[in-house]
Amino acid sequence: MKQATIVGGKLALICALAAVSLGVANEITAPVIAELKAKQLKEALQMVVPSGEAGEETFVEDHPAVTAYYPITEGNSTTGYVIKLVGKGYAGDLVLLASFSLEGEILGSVLLDNEETPGLGKEAENPEYMKRFYIGTGGTSPVPAKKSELSQANADAVSGATITFIGIGQALSAGSEYTKKLGGAQ
Amino acid sequence: MIKDITRGFFKENPVFVVLLGLCPALGVSTKVVNSIGMGAGVIFVLLGSNIMVSMLKNFIPEKVRIPAYIVIIASFVTIVQMVMQAFMPDLYKSLGVFVPLIVVNCIILGRAEAFANKNNLFRSILDALGMGIGFTFALFLISLVREILGAGTITLFPMGSWDGIIVIPILSNAPVRVMALAAGALLVLGYLKALWNVFEARKKEPVS
Repeated sequence: MKQATIVGGKLALICALAAVSLGVANEITAPVIAELKAKQLKEALQMVVPSGEAGEETFVEDHPAVTAYYPITEGNSTTGYVIKLVGKGYAGDLVLLASFSLEGEILGSVLLDNEETPGLGKEAENPEYMKRFYIGTGGTSPVPAKKSELSQANADAVSGATITFIGIGQALSAGSEYTKKLGGAQ
Repeated sequence: MIKDITRGFFKENPVFVVLLGLCPALGVSTKVVNSIGMGAGVIFVLLGSNIMVSMLKNFIPEKVRIPAYIVIIASFVTIVQMVMQAFMPDLYKSLGVFVPLIVVNCIILGRAEAFANKNNLFRSILDALGMGIGFTFALFLISLVREILGAGTITLFPMGSWDGIIVIPILSNAPVRVMALAAGALLVLGYLKALWNVFEARKKEPVS
């Protein structure tokens, strides 16, 4: 019993020292990371809004894929929405920012936070990836969320990163549907 | 003492001889800059864990030594992850899931168990540096071949107005795409290991 207490106590002490050192590292890096994320979000908003201005962020709590939205306004009218989305990737959540017309058509999309595999799923960070598979869909044509919905060349291009492709497609599809529901009302 | 630092580079090179840490070695070696970043992260974690394990070898109970090593290694990896995310965000994005996976890199746990818990602090530091530099060198070689052939570029760190990318004229227009894929990684590793074996064998041949 005494031996077990000593062993457990020593392990607990090592864990406590590790926790203190991690706390110090977090104290130093957390503000820098938060600042970088805010800058990244601002840049992403500028990228996905082709014309007009993104308004105030509204948080959404009761939706599986939509976490927030920003209305896009031109003059006094709402022309679309930027939606912050969460999808299921190969190695955790995929955070996306996408702009939609009021009809649900995808105007622009950027993959933000993700843990996808470099060289495979991470290719989705490339703006060309979004243009190739998703931009322009969601309005009159459905957002592709299955490999079987792609041409042979495009299906070959997502091979090795199918889960990422499906995760992004499902999230964007949910964003398109959500935008249609929002319509012109904020 | 010299052997402690050269062992990890030549005789027991983690990638080309012992074949450890292959998952990150193959996964991140698509760009030279990724290999240098991953190598630096591994050197830091290896150095930190070897120092701590060597210093605490008489304090850590035998029965729970592996969980204790994992706590130490995971703490250093988390620090690397936080620092990279804050101060090198592009590199952090490129390396992705391979940064937290340093925790389960066999080289680090292997050196803690096989070397640092049996040797003094100074020798443990030399061993960590040797193994870390050996791992980084192997990653650098693999990524150099893969990026030149697979993309026709050499990506280094951007400096001032220079974006850090060297473009190889003919190859950049017609790269050997398979080299950028997983199959290419295994091919390059195989050929480089064969070359390494040839050099090692020649060194051992008696002078006639």
